[in-house]
Amino acid sequence: MSAARVFRVGTLVFWLALLALWGSAPPPGDGPPAPAGEAPSPAAAGFTLAEVAAHARADDCWMAIGGEVYDITAYVERHPSEPEVLLPWCGREATEAYRTKMRGRPHSARADTLLAQYRVGILRAAGRVP
Amino acid sequence: MRGPGRSLASAAVAFALPALAVAWAWPQGLTPWRSAAIVSAWVGTGLLVASLLLMLREPRLARALGGLEPMLRWHHRAGVSGYLVLLAHPLALALDARAEDPALVRAVLDPRLQPWAVDLGWGALLLLMAGLAATFMPALAYRRWRATHFALGFAVAAGLAHVLVLLGQAGLPLLGAALAGVALAWRFVLLDRGWRSLAYRVAAVTHPAAAMVEASLAPMAAGLRAEPGQFVLARFLDAERYAACGAFHPFTISDVAPDGRLKVAIKALGPCSAQLQALQPGAVVQLQGPFGDFLAAEGPPRPQLWVAGGIGITPFIAALRQRPCSRPTTLLYLVRSEADAAFAPELRAMADAQPSLTLWLHATGDATPALEPWLARLPDLAHTEVQVCGPPALVHALLPLLAARGVPRGQVHHEAFDFR
Repeated sequence: MSAARVFRVGTLVFWLALLALWGSAPPPGDGPPAPAGEAPSPAAAGFTLAEVAAHARADDCWMAIGGEVYDITAYVERHPSEPEVLLPWCGREATEAYRTKMRGRPHSARADTLLAQYRVGILRAAGRVP
Repeated sequence: MRGPGRSLASAAVAFALPALAVAWAWPQGLTPWRSAAIVSAWVGTGLLVASLLLMLREPRLARALGGLEPMLRWHHRAGVSGYLVLLAHPLALALDARAEDPALVRAVLDPRLQPWAVDLGWGALLLLMAGLAATFMPALAYRRWRATHFALGFAVAAGLAHVLVLLGQAGLPLLGAALAGVALAWRFVLLDRGWRSLAYRVAAVTHPAAAMVEASLAPMAAGLRAEPGQFVLARFLDAERYAACGAFHPFTISDVAPDGRLKVAIKALGPCSAQLQALQPGAVVQLQGPFGDFLAAEGPPRPQLWVAGGIGITPFIAALRQRPCSRPTTLLYLVRSEADAAFAPELRAMADAQPSLTLWLHATGDATPALEPWLARLPDLAHTEVQVCGPPALVHALLPLLAARGVPRGQVHHEAFDFR
């Protein structure tokens, strides 16, 4: 098969697969439900690391990542890695851990999209946990 | 290096870079689709960077990598393969998202919902797609084809920027970007602008056949060290007269003189070579090369069959002008008409003077030449070394006939000067 034919067939298969994936998926609004449990404070108020540290359990897991605070309790069981990789970071500032997931490589853009759905507010600078 | 092994070095470059990238980025503890996405990204990126390195037509590099022709062949293979592998990258990411939650698929595939670094990746992939689509349009004029083909270099740069921004760190991605940057700058600045070339002056112009000129080129300073059978890339600097020749074009050497002068034969086959039919002495030309190893002497001293089609006589006349045949040599020279038979008087005089040289000059008209009767006249074809230079149709017609007559593939040599 000539290179031109390989290119045409490959490109056609790509677009067909892309359309099939898009067409078979529900719109993004039908994503994971908002985390249940404690009602978060308004995002504008924010949380200190001390407040985040109060949520350091598998059944109540908050993390501070990149200046934002996330309640990922509902996601803990769905995280692809072993629990011991994720759980030690509950209740802590986890920006570096999030960005250096594996041999210095960050999480994917898709993980960023997923994470955004669990945001509960910003991280306030006051008060650091030793 | 000749024969089946000559392109191994170029192939090694094409395979080594993706292998290195995958070894560095091998995914651990991730889902199968996410692992596939990471592997496809790095294999594709490695192939594209290798493709850029294989477009550097430096004479020394070309010699190290088995010649310009295998380099360009692997440049094309690595480029198309890299593109195809990269197509799997967004699909694998979407499938990974679907395995987790079908509602995430559109969020992953919709550029509006993604950061700009991801959009950069989509832009690079679409630019690759458009550039390759143009590359595979045979009807596209050479200058337009060249411009769209060069856009592929920017697509690779955008793809590497996508990787660097997303990963935000040094290491192998930075090395890949540096390699790509050096390759693009080397090609577009040092090579295409003539900084890595030698200046020659057109000393004389003759017209050995219809729609054909032979230019004698004298070095203005240092000259190239070329052998018969090799070709040079030439760029003629008189921009007004030879507007279509602003880029470097390949021309086969027709004579290598002891004083450093070269002759090149130019048949009017395209816009550039048609304009060069009006070439005048005094014009300045930049040369790069030499390239190629057609007619390079090696192997046992077998009888020779040289088959030339039209302008394909050029490497053979260069060899005959340099020294008499040391082995029994039959030159089958096929031309459309007598008026197209360049160098015919000179060749006839050589054949008369050299007992070891037999000349079969045949005007075929517009019909496809019947090759079988000529081959039947050679008594020991299976033990003959065959050199073929001519249009692809001639080469393709001849190869199966030679195989049928028991000529081993390793004894048949031909050059493919396809620069697209």
